[in-house]
Amino acid sequence: MQRVRNLLLTIISVAIFALFLEKAPTFLNGYWQRILNLIAINAILALSLNLIYGMTGMFSLGHAGFMAIGAYVSALLVLSPAQKNAMWILEDIYPWLLDVNAPFIASIIIAGIVAAFFGMLVALPVLRLGGDYLGIATLGFAEIIRILITNTARLTNGSLGLKGIPAHTTLFMSWGCLGVVLLCMVCMLRSNFGGVLRAVRDDEVAARMMGINTFRVKVLAFTLGCFGGGLGGALMGNLITTIDPRMFMITQTYNILMIIVVGGLGSVTGSIIGSALVTTMLEWLRFVENPITIAGINIPGIPGMRMVIFSLLLIIVIIFRREGIMGMREFTWDIFFPKRKAKSQEKISESDTVLEVKDVVLKFGGLSAIDSLSFDIKHGQIMGLIGPNGAGKTSAFNVISGFYKPTSGTIKFMGKSIGGLRPDEVCRAGMSRTFQNIRLFGHETVLQNVMIGSRIRQKYSWWMTLAPFIFTDVIREDSAVRARAMDLLSQLGLADFADDEASSLPYGAQRRLEIARALATRPKFLLLDEPAAGMNPQESEELLQFIRRLRDDFDLTILLIEHDMKVVMNVCDYIHVLDQGVHIAQGTPEEIKANPRVVEAYLGKGAA
Amino acid sequence: MNLNIFIQHFINALSLGSLYGLVAVGYTMVYGILRLINFAHGDIFMLGAYFVYFATIVYHLPWAVGVITAVILTTICGLLVDRIAYKPLREAPRISALISAIGVSFFIENFAVVVFTGMPRPVVQPPILMKPIEFSGGVRLIPLGILVPVVAFVLVGGLMWLLYCTKPGLAMRAISFDIETTRMMGVSVNKIIALAFGLGSALAAVAGIMWALRYPRVEPFMGMTPGIKAFIAAVFGGIGSVPGAMIGGLILGFVEIMSVAFFPTLSGYKDAFAFLLLIMILLFRPTGLLGEKLEDKI
Repeated sequence: MQRVRNLLLTIISVAIFALFLEKAPTFLNGYWQRILNLIAINAILALSLNLIYGMTGMFSLGHAGFMAIGAYVSALLVLSPAQKNAMWILEDIYPWLLDVNAPFIASIIIAGIVAAFFGMLVALPVLRLGGDYLGIATLGFAEIIRILITNTARLTNGSLGLKGIPAHTTLFMSWGCLGVVLLCMVCMLRSNFGGVLRAVRDDEVAARMMGINTFRVKVLAFTLGCFGGGLGGALMGNLITTIDPRMFMITQTYNILMIIVVGGLGSVTGSIIGSALVTTMLEWLRFVENPITIAGINIPGIPGMRMVIFSLLLIIVIIFRREGIMGMREFTWDIFFPKRKAKSQEKISESDTVLEVKDVVLKFGGLSAIDSLSFDIKHGQIMGLIGPNGAGKTSAFNVISGFYKPTSGTIKFMGKSIGGLRPDEVCRAGMSRTFQNIRLFGHETVLQNVMIGSRIRQKYSWWMTLAPFIFTDVIREDSAVRARAMDLLSQLGLADFADDEASSLPYGAQRRLEIARALATRPKFLLLDEPAAGMNPQESEELLQFIRRLRDDFDLTILLIEHDMKVVMNVCDYIHVLDQGVHIAQGTPEEIKANPRVVEAYLGKGAA
Repeated sequence: MNLNIFIQHFINALSLGSLYGLVAVGYTMVYGILRLINFAHGDIFMLGAYFVYFATIVYHLPWAVGVITAVILTTICGLLVDRIAYKPLREAPRISALISAIGVSFFIENFAVVVFTGMPRPVVQPPILMKPIEFSGGVRLIPLGILVPVVAFVLVGGLMWLLYCTKPGLAMRAISFDIETTRMMGVSVNKIIALAFGLGSALAAVAGIMWALRYPRVEPFMGMTPGIKAFIAAVFGGIGSVPGAMIGGLILGFVEIMSVAFFPTLSGYKDAFAFLLLIMILLFRPTGLLGEKLEDKI
């Protein structure tokens, strides 16, 4: 009902806007038409960079380079052989290039694909870098692309650039392209795959433990973003009709980055508003550089003044409203209507036998964090792993869950060796964990956090999310996942918080949410890293009940690290003790309590 | 290539490299402390050169006095940039400060266009620095080529002494390690950050002045390319490390000059080498030559 209403409203407003574009040439002069075109193109560029940076968290300063690729590819395809013959003055054009031709629409799609291809080539090596280093490396690539364009004159006409590109970019073209990009992107971001992108941005480590191959997701998002960059560049070239390498300097990337930040990083709506605002402002401010006459006094234009005013405005915006216009919010029709909430039910059960750790050694350089650890866990057991600080407990967890590769030894999970698998592969095999320092996707809602955990159990591919109305699996599977996530939340007493931001929950609830998220991956085996940390005696009493219930309700096998001896002794069937990487004892809680070596490890020699 | 020409190239590379190094030091100090790429640093460099132009050509001050005035004025500009555009954003996400830095960079460049006009201006070259000296074996060098690296090394040496042998230096290193803890130790964090900006700007001013002497002219956008190159040098050497920045600058200078000297046909790709070098080092040593390894705690 609500959906139909929103769809109708969207269709009506798109139709009105299309009518406006249709009539625009009759009442808008060339100058304003050009601004409208630029708004659409900048919005495409901003959306694509926002996908890379705002949604997936990869700081890229390379967009101008991918724009350049797109602009050149498209221009070379639409220019006629006669034009090409006339333009290459300094060096001869490659003969094969003379006859390469394509219609405009095909040329901009090819432009996007070529840019995406180069984007992928760049992404594969550099996405291993994080943060600012990634930014600098991508900036470097963009500059290299520009220098290559300048120096391969037979292909690109070098620094002279290309002139006389037919002005194919009409209002319908630019806004039509924006419409398609917008539709695909909104659909993708609303699907659970969109949640995965944001999860990679918020906490890569936790995302990997949710079974997500984060590297693959990042390469994918980067490649898609570069497609947008190429498309935008191609449209730009066909609007301005002249391109040369100097157009695609770092300043161009800065402009797009400004649009995103002014609009709101991570907001689709923000990118469009930002584009409209920044583009109009930049064009409108041109008046300060032209001579004007006010009340008979002639004021000469001041070159450079436009950017001075613009940069001042930018600094003021960033200082006083740093989250941008939209923040991370999005426009929906719902803001005009009061809210309602949805609920539903589903049930799960799975089982098998479990983990065998044999002679595992973990060394960092010369330092050994774990020195020959062996144990196994039977189905349905709750096993404790205890030891003083620095004993190697979390290291053991990290080895089992795939964050560290064991130096030697074998780990078998349900009969299969998992030593050396990546965290996401381990997760797919049916293991999940929580973290000592809670790692939630803080900006996402409680519900979305849990849904991301279910992504690996979904069957649809990422590209289907671009057009969910065709691939209805996306909608069906996402709604099943949502229902299951709600079910998990209500089982863990979190249903009331479903739409709250995860980072706003109280501490205890965050711990439970982390467990709910882990359960969403449908694990057979759960690792809990200090679940009682920071809880008061009453809360840890509740936790005891909760862990037992988890095992029974979800048919789990559990391995937990814990310092709270009351929890350990009461909940565990069997306990292993580590001290400085050495496996010093094992047994039932009673045996451990009586073991002198354990007491010595905790309290020091002589205490026993 | 005979020895004479090689020595010319060598000195040329040394002075270009040490100029990159001087600017890179400013980037690395600010980044080490605030994790901020100060995009406006290249423009501070440009201001240094312009102030000398004004002091000597417009106000006819003696050259040495002009240089000192210019360094002081540039330092003040650096401090103002920090105070106005970065300080309000200390607690904000890092992207905010970065955008602010881009804004400041645009502002300074275009303000320079408004005030100084976009036309390149000539620079006074003191004759004593330009008169070639003959060495045995027919090697001819101008004193400027030797002066530049000497000045650069002395200044960076002084900075290292300040960083490693004085209290403010200790505070600066502590801040780059953990800003909150340092604040709790009673260090006036904002003053130390201002000190870093001031020192960085002073060094950039000196570099800008010497740069203008080498290519005897100044123009509003002269800081853009050296700025980006110097930042690359800082990343290359391991951002946050002062000796790393100097080494990175020198390597970059040598790669640029020597690649063109030995392979003149590739001169169009000169700028690409710097970036290629950067990407290579990032792939094999992600935190640069002297950078510290960082790891995300799980």
